[in-house]
Parts: sequence; C-alpha cells; structure tokens
Amino acid sequence: MTDKDRINRNEPSRDYYLRAEGITKVYSNGTVALKEADLEIHRGEIIGLLGENGAGKTTFTKILSGLLPPTKGRVISPRGSVRFKSPREALSFGIGMVYQHFALVGTFNAAENVALSHDHPFSPIQLTATKKKLEQLMEESGLRVPLDVPVEKLAVGEQQRVEILKVLSRDVDLLILDEPTSVLTPLEVDELFALLRRLKDAGKSIILITHKLKEVGSVTDRVVVLRHGEMVGDVPTAQASTEQLAQLMVGKALDEEANAVELQDKGLPTAERERANVRTEQPVLEVSGLTVKGNTGEVAVDNLSFEVYGGEIFGVAGVEGNGQSELVEALTGLRSAEKGKASINGKNILGLDPREIYMLGVAHIPEDRWRLGLVLPFTLAENAILGVQRWDEFRGPMSFLRWGKVNQHVRELMKRFEIRATGPSAPAKSLSGGNQQKLIVGRELAKDPHIVVASQPTRGLDIGAAKYIRDLLVEMRNKGRAILLVSADLDEVLALSDRIAIMYEGKFMTIASPKDLDRETIGMLMGGAAVKEGAV
Amino acid sequence: MSQGLTETVPQKEKLVRRTLTGFNPAIESLLAAAVGLIIGAILMLVWGYNPWKAYAALLQGAYGDAYGWASSAARGVPLILTALTFSICVRAGMFNIGAEGQVYMGAVAAVAVGYFVLPAGLHLIVGLIFAMIAGAIWSLGPAILRLTRGVNEVISTIMFNWIARFLTFYMVAFVLVDPLRGEKTISIPVSARFPVLIRGTDLSWSIFAAVAFAIVIYFVLWHTVTGYEVRAAGLNPSAARYGGIKSKRTMLMAFVLGGLGAGLAGATIVMGNPPTYAIISGMPQLMNAGFDGMAVAMVGRNHPIGIIFASLFFGGLTAGGRTMQFTAGVPLEMVRVVEGVIVLTMAIPELIRVFRVMRSSWDRLMSVLRRRSA
Amino acid sequence: MNWGFLTDLLRISLHAMVPITLTAVGEIVGETAGLFNIGLEGIILISALAGALGAEAGGPMVGLLAGMLVGALISLIFSIINTYWKGDQMITGIGINLFAAGFVAFGLIRLGSPGFHSVTRTAQIAKIQTPIGSLSPMIFVALVVPFIIHWFLKRTRAGLILKAAGENPEAADVAGINVNLVRLLATTFGGILAGLGGAYMSIAWFGSVTKDISAGRGFIALATVVFSGLNPLLALLGGFIFGFFQSLATWIKTLPSKPIPWQFVEMLPYIVTLLVVAGAIGRVRFPKELGKPYKRE
Repeated sequence: MTDKDRINRNEPSRDYYLRAEGITKVYSNGTVALKEADLEIHRGEIIGLLGENGAGKTTFTKILSGLLPPTKGRVISPRGSVRFKSPREALSFGIGMVYQHFALVGTFNAAENVALSHDHPFSPIQLTATKKKLEQLMEESGLRVPLDVPVEKLAVGEQQRVEILKVLSRDVDLLILDEPTSVLTPLEVDELFALLRRLKDAGKSIILITHKLKEVGSVTDRVVVLRHGEMVGDVPTAQASTEQLAQLMVGKALDEEANAVELQDKGLPTAERERANVRTEQPVLEVSGLTVKGNTGEVAVDNLSFEVYGGEIFGVAGVEGNGQSELVEALTGLRSAEKGKASINGKNILGLDPREIYMLGVAHIPEDRWRLGLVLPFTLAENAILGVQRWDEFRGPMSFLRWGKVNQHVRELMKRFEIRATGPSAPAKSLSGGNQQKLIVGRELAKDPHIVVASQPTRGLDIGAAKYIRDLLVEMRNKGRAILLVSADLDEVLALSDRIAIMYEGKFMTIASPKDLDRETIGMLMGGAAVKEGAV
Repeated sequence: MSQGLTETVPQKEKLVRRTLTGFNPAIESLLAAAVGLIIGAILMLVWGYNPWKAYAALLQGAYGDAYGWASSAARGVPLILTALTFSICVRAGMFNIGAEGQVYMGAVAAVAVGYFVLPAGLHLIVGLIFAMIAGAIWSLGPAILRLTRGVNEVISTIMFNWIARFLTFYMVAFVLVDPLRGEKTISIPVSARFPVLIRGTDLSWSIFAAVAFAIVIYFVLWHTVTGYEVRAAGLNPSAARYGGIKSKRTMLMAFVLGGLGAGLAGATIVMGNPPTYAIISGMPQLMNAGFDGMAVAMVGRNHPIGIIFASLFFGGLTAGGRTMQFTAGVPLEMVRVVEGVIVLTMAIPELIRVFRVMRSSWDRLMSVLRRRSA
Repeated sequence: MNWGFLTDLLRISLHAMVPITLTAVGEIVGETAGLFNIGLEGIILISALAGALGAEAGGPMVGLLAGMLVGALISLIFSIINTYWKGDQMITGIGINLFAAGFVAFGLIRLGSPGFHSVTRTAQIAKIQTPIGSLSPMIFVALVVPFIIHWFLKRTRAGLILKAAGENPEAADVAGINVNLVRLLATTFGGILAGLGGAYMSIAWFGSVTKDISAGRGFIALATVVFSGLNPLLALLGGFIFGFFQSLATWIKTLPSKPIPWQFVEMLPYIVTLLVVAGAIGRVRFPKELGKPYKRE
C-alpha cells in the first residue's frame, strides 16, 4: 500500500453522512495547518484520526465542529453544503465534540451542566426533567455518573463521561473525541470503547483522535492518517498493519535524496556527521525510578531510569503529552516528584527549587518561552539575569543589583549569540521569536552549566534561528557538556542526538542510537506498539 | 509547523505596562487629565458657570504664586505615600486598598509617640518610625490572610480599613484624647513636629520625608534583587517561579513596604499639619488619604517619579479648588468630579486606542475627501 | 426589662437593613456573573440625590424610579467599560466613587444649601404603623427581594447562565452564551437595586440628602456579599446584622454610662466578615473568574 491512497474525490459512496472536501486552513501568521484534506464519514462507523503533533488533527475536527472556519474547501451532507458559524450550530446539526480540556462549569453538577447547553434562556429549568432524561440516557449508554455532585469533585474519567453525556443529550449523529484516553485509566478506556461500540451499533458516527496505534487497532473500523496537514492514508483498520500506519504517521525515508532535501529545508545536518566520541566516563545526570504525577493526578512519568553523560546529546522523542513536560519540570524544580531519585554529579536535585538547581550546574531552556522563559515587559537586561539574579557577579552589597555588570553581560551575549535588538534596555517583547530564544539560550549557556535541559528549543523559530540554536547545542556537546534534548520534532531529535529515547505514556520505550532505529520502528514506538524482535 | 504559543499577559500588567498603546505613558496620563478637565468644563457650562474663569482661578490658586505651589505641594505630600502603597503592591501583582486604614494607624502611632519626652529631631524620627511600623503591621494582616488562607486582599483590606477606622475613633475619643479639649487628641509637642518649610504656608519638611521615601522605593524596586523579584513575580508569576523567585516572600515584602508608606503618610498628616498637630474627632484630615492616593497612583503610572508629579497635580487641584470657589464661585467639589472622570478615563486602556482609531479614520476620511475634491 | 427599647432597636435595625440588603443582593447577581463593582458607594450616593429630586418633581414613586434609573445607568457604564472595553474593574469603581462624591456635593450646593437638603414631606414615602412602630413599606420590599433573587439564581436557566459566565466563561461561550452581554445585564440589574437602596435612604428613611449620606454603605454591602457567600438569603441576614450593630452602637452612644465603647460594637460585623472569609466560619466560594475580563481565544 502506498501512501498515495486517497478517497476518490469525485465519487461519493452511496450513502454517506458527511463529506469534507478540500479542507484547507491557513492561519493569519502564514502557518498552513491543513492542505486539501478530504474525509467521507458514514453512519455507524468509528474512524480513527491518526497523526503526530501539529499534523492538523485538532484543527480539522474544530472545523467540522464549527469552532473554526476553513480557509478553503467545503463540508457537504446529502442534503447540500453545510456551514457552521459556531459550535452551537454544529450541535443543532448533529455534530458534537468532546474536547481534550473539558468545557464544564466546575461548581455545577452534571445535570446543571447539561441543562446549560440546552435552549431557551428564560425557561425555568426543570432540573428534574433534565435529570430524568439524563438517567434514561445513562441507562441506554451504560455511562454512569453521580448527578448531584459538583463536577469539579468528580474524577477525571467521570468528568469526561459528563462531557460525553452532555453531547449525547443533544442527540448527535457525529461524535468527535479528541485524545480522550490521555486522562483515563486502562479500565476506564475499556469502558469508553465499549460505549463507542454501542453508539456505533446505534448508527452514530464517531471520530476518535489519537496517536496511540493500539487504540486504533482495538476499536476503529477505519483509520485516517494526517501528516503535515495532508491526508496521507485512509484504510479499513483490518487491512492496516501497525508498521504501515507508523510509516504513514512519521513518513518513510524511502527516498534518501528526498529526505535529505527535506532535512536541509529544515536546517538540519544531512550527512552522518563525523562526531568525535567525547562522552565522559561518569554520567552527569542520573535518574532512577522517577515517578511524577501530572496536573490531574494521573501518573505522567512512570518509574523512569536513565543516565545522561557529558559530551552527549540525549534526545527524548515522542508525541507530546506522554510525560515529557512533567519529566523536564521535575528535573528543573518546577514540579515535585512522587518517587525516585535524580542527581547531578551525585548531588540530589529532586525537591529543590529552581535556583538551587541552577547553582548545581543545570541550565533550562523552557518549552514555553513566553510563559516561563521571559518576563516580556522586562528589558533584555532584566531578563538576562532571570534565575541568576542572586549570583555574586550581579549582586552587590546590600542586595543592590550591579546594573553595570548586567549590561556588560548582556552586550556580550548580544555579540556572541547575534541577538538583534536595540540594546540592553529594549523590552523583550520587541524582539522577534528567534532573538528571544537566543536570549534565553545565551542566558542559560552563559551559566557554564554541566547539563543543558532543552525543551522544544526551536519551536516556532525560522530556519536560520533554529539552525543557529541547534549548532550551539552541538558545540556545547563537543565541549563536553551534557545535553538533555526534549523535542516533538522527530527530525531534529534524530539529527542531533547521540542517543535517543522514545517516550510513551511515561516510559521510555527504548533507548538507542539513532543509527540503529529505522523510521518505521520509531513510528511504532511513538504509537506505543511493541517492537518486533530484532528491530532494535 | 508552529504550535500556537499562548501569550498569557496577567490582567494587572495592564496597569504597569510602560507603553500601553505605543504612546508615552506620560502622554496617556495627560490625555486622561485633559478628558477630565474637559468634562468638568462641560458640566460647569451646563450649570451656568464660566469654565474659563474657573480654570484660570484654579491655575492661579494652584501654581500662580509661591503660596499656591506650597499649598499644592502640602496637599500632595500624603498622596505621594499612599499612592506608593498602592503602586508597590500593584507591581507585585496585588490590589492593596488598605492604605486608608494603614494611614489611620500610622497617625495614631504618631500621636502616641507625642507622649514621650525626647529631644527635638529625635522625637520626630522616633515618631516616624513608630508610624511606619504601625502601618506595616496593619498591612501584614491582609498579607498573612492571603498567604495562609488565600483570602482575596481586596476584601480583607476593606475590612481592615473599617476596623482601623473605628479603632481610631476609639483611640481619639478615649486613649489619646486631649484632657482639655475632648474633640481632639493631644497635640504633638513641638519637639516632634515637622518644621514649617515656607513661612505662612502649611508646607512642612514632611515633603522631604515623602520624596525621600519615594526615592528609596525607586531604588528598592529597580536596583535591588528583592525589588527585581517583586516586579518579576507581579508581571509573570510562572517565569518568576522558573527564575527561582519565591512568590510568598515577594508578596509579603510588597505589603510591608506599602504599609510603611501609608503609616508614614499618617504621620506626615498629623505631624506636619499646623495649627493643631492632632487628630480631630471624625478625622477629616485623614479621611480619603488612602483612596485619593490610588487615583494618584494610576495617573502616576505606578512609578515613583510619575507619582510625585501626579500628586503635585492632584494637590494642585485641591489647593486651586479653594481659589476657584472663592474667585469664580465654582464649588470646590467640582474638583472631585474632575478627579473621578480622570480616573475613569484611565480605567479604559482601550480608550486611547479608540482615540487613535478615530484619529486614523478621521485622517483617512479627510484624505479621501481631499482627493475627491481635487 | 424595657421592651420599648428592644422594639426601638428592632425598628431601627430594619430600616438600616434596607439599603444594605438591596445593594448586596444586587451585587450578588453581578458578582455571580463575574464582575466586582467597588463603585457601589458612589451609586448609592448619586441615587439618593436623584431619588430626592425625582420625588420632589413627581412624587415618591417617581423618586424611586429615578434612583433605579440612575443606578442602572452608572452600572451600565461600569459594565461596558469592563466587558467590551476590557477595562479594569477596580479603577473604574474607584473612579465612580470619586466622581459621585464630587457630583453630589456639588449638586447639593446648587440646590441651595451646601451639604444638606431636606426632602419635602409630600415627597417622602409614608410609613406604616405596626406594633413595633412606624415602618417604611420599603422594608417589606427588602425582605421579599432576596427570596425572589434566590429563587431566580437557583431555579431558572438564567441563573445557571449567570453562574457559568462567572465561573467558567469558556464553557459558557462554547455553550453559546454571550458572556459579555450576560455580565452587562447582571451588573446593570445590580445597579438598579443599589439605586433603589440609595433612593430609599433619602425619601423613605432620612428624609434628607447629605453629601455623605452613603456613609460607607456601599462597602458594607460588599462586605455583606462576602459574608453571604453569594447567597441572597444570607445577604438579608447580613444586612440585618450590620444594621443591628449600627443601631446598637448608636443606642450605646446615648447611654450615660458606657459598658462597652460603641466603637467596638460597630467593628464587630467587619471582624465577623473577616472570619467568614478566612474560612474560620464555613468556606465561601466565589466564581473562579470573578474580577477578570473574558477574552475569547
């Protein structure tokens, strides 16, 4: 099967529920989120929508459910073209979406939340009537939730059930779920899938967004794969193997040349770089048995153990949301760990606050430069000392700040890292994204750290800036520093890392050299599939 | 493909942004002041007064001669301090509207020090210190409630204001009362008073205390590590945490500093206020020092330098208002009206943008018309 | 035991309760939807004046209406600034208070006697004779309104919508609710009640307007809202408690020998409110998004 399998655009099948034709979405900043995506949805089927981060899955479904308008393309039903101007209109038509972040009012109980989405504003709500209807619905669907408890007190799985009930109570024909299992226990996942099958038997259509290959296999009838905004595959589940799906998801390195061109476009090194082996004897970062909980109480990092040596780039790849952020946060003092040990050069770092961790020789390039890395209204100078404001070189007697020294430091950073700005007193928000990131990277590297923890370091940057930062990381590696690189950009991780770990549901599926992994295997591991014998 | 980064700009950052819409912040304040004065003029016209005469008299009274300047400055002194109370906390990301109560407590402490017998000069300093500490203690209450029980500081400071008010009434009527004249407290002895700066006016050396405090705050906020951490935590709590800044500490610091300022304000009112140098029952001189300070803080863009200028402006409005009433017959309450409108205008960050939009569409319309007629 | 003293106390407390309860209940509606109006003080002040003028022009009913109208107008401005124009609620409220203080004082001067203006007899609302003395009919209004609003918030879909707008505006938006409009309507309604309370003070209680007639009642109402935990029935109780302590303090002031200084009596409601908010007495929970403007992503 080639990845040119597409729906024949000119011939809708005899009875379909909805067709999306040529959906294109270009954001105002030029990002192309979707390119001519097609999809035909039938009644009584469960479609798995597969793809990496940024593939366009959420954008596509947001367009279907009325939250976003498409730039080009149309959606048609057997009765004609449909256009939704709001989620409410889509809901009236029969399309309901269960979002990843629930749209529930915490202080309301389930019945009140459901009543909220129903019609006329001034009808005295017959809460008892709503409750009855809900109870009937719960019977039919097999979903049980306590109806009188404020929703915020319910477990996450129960909250999700309320969301689903809310959508079901509107008698939808198409139900879209966005990564629903990321917050569920395995038992709850089974219950959810049983529900989906029941709904399908009742004639409803379901789109399940996921990146987990196992789920696709267990509950869907059809799999649709998106990559870089394009539909690259649409096959019945029974006919698709996990290897094929993985290939579609991450792209095949079939054509060496084409791949090299693609890499070059992204500013990545093409040939196998001759790298000196500068790995140190002792590891800089040692992690053992690390378990970290996420925001909703679920386990995000699951009993992880690994080491990072000086003189190497250790890359963590994987679809976002599998614990990478929590791992980084636990290692940099922004989140507490449940269990386990982590140390830098033998000194423990768990439970310390960020400043203490920096003093132990850790630099942190955060994944969200606006929220964590910079105080945007501050000047360059003020941002350059964020995290190191108490270091002796910047702090004078009586806690006075030595702005003279700071400004000098900033000017050096500006020169060394080619940061374009009007001067140390320029506000950080006046810089371009690339220069902002260079400021952060420069600040962190100037600490002369033992290890650099870089989380999505080139996200949102143009090619030139991204290349620059990648080169910097390699330079640090060559100087004998340890680099922990976490990135959702697979190409980047593969090109830069000496060793790579693929993270899935809080665990490392494997730790290996990039040379030893083919893309198909990587795709499978990212999707949680077990690896064939001998593949690694 | 970029993952959309969400820019989270804390709500209170609006108060503190250096350039809201690209205009110089000073210009924005001036615009707001202009709007206030214009609307005041409109109201005056509606009621049959002559705005030109009124504003002329206002200007004359406020800045026309040395006496005017002195009066304006004298009125502005406590405002500098209470404005700083509000502004420091705003920069730390909080709303401390407890200056009112902290001022009362500072004044009470200052009067209490009047009972001591100390040499001149030293007596004054001791009084100031006690007053500042009283103010700081009073502001610690809401701070601790916020830190330990998450109590919204707007609510708690309002409560503390009222408790302070009645506590002060009690102190004035029973504890610090002047045995000879029951409607006021004892007068602060000469050894503890601020010497008058310009003879014949009520401007005393308290102005130096106020300006000195403002300068100290400037240095603390912009030139010390602690101040840096306070500002960072106020602008972006997440990044501050990333930078190893402990927000509990910065919060406490801000409240304490603010309380010191308000306490000092209470002291300056009592110790720099001829001829009584006491708290009169009903505390007319102390009332609203806190709330007016907030208006000054906003117009002064929450920066010590801006606040000094703004307090001179507001002080001028009050001082000039008397002249306006005397000469042009416009009641000085009109001044409050103008102040209110100015503050309302400052509440709308969009308004300046609206001006710009209006201006640019006006320009466009004009150019279209010109082209048509050419 | 002098029963007369007790009935006096009760009567004065009931009268004092009215403006506080009405304003507090109105603010409950507004805060449930997410806006925090610190300018209530100014609204009460201006409506007192407006009510008096209206009553003298066209009778007590016109006076009450004038007060409600003025309250609605000011709240409308407040809510537009803080919803559609993304303004700052604190600053707007403070501006309103400043403006009102000047405006009313100014207006009184224009009316002839600075600082004071007595409303003519015919313009006042006649009191009803009851066993405990003459009570204003507005007291009964103040007793009934909290129940109506309580029912409204709990049992109508509109009440749910208000709560959603204040608690989770994104969810409300997704459900098709126009969050800004809801907040606007809720706060304007709050202004109507506050205006009613203000007008009551001048034409049904004091019979006069002074330049500081509100005497902090706007802030007391805010405290009552906190005390009530956004429950109108508790606001009724809170209003009564505040009124009771105020009348108690006034009575103590008249005693020749003073057992407790009246100042401490007056302090009591504020201390109690602090304890309530600090969680010492029951946990009150405010809408999560109270005080923050809503921006759709």
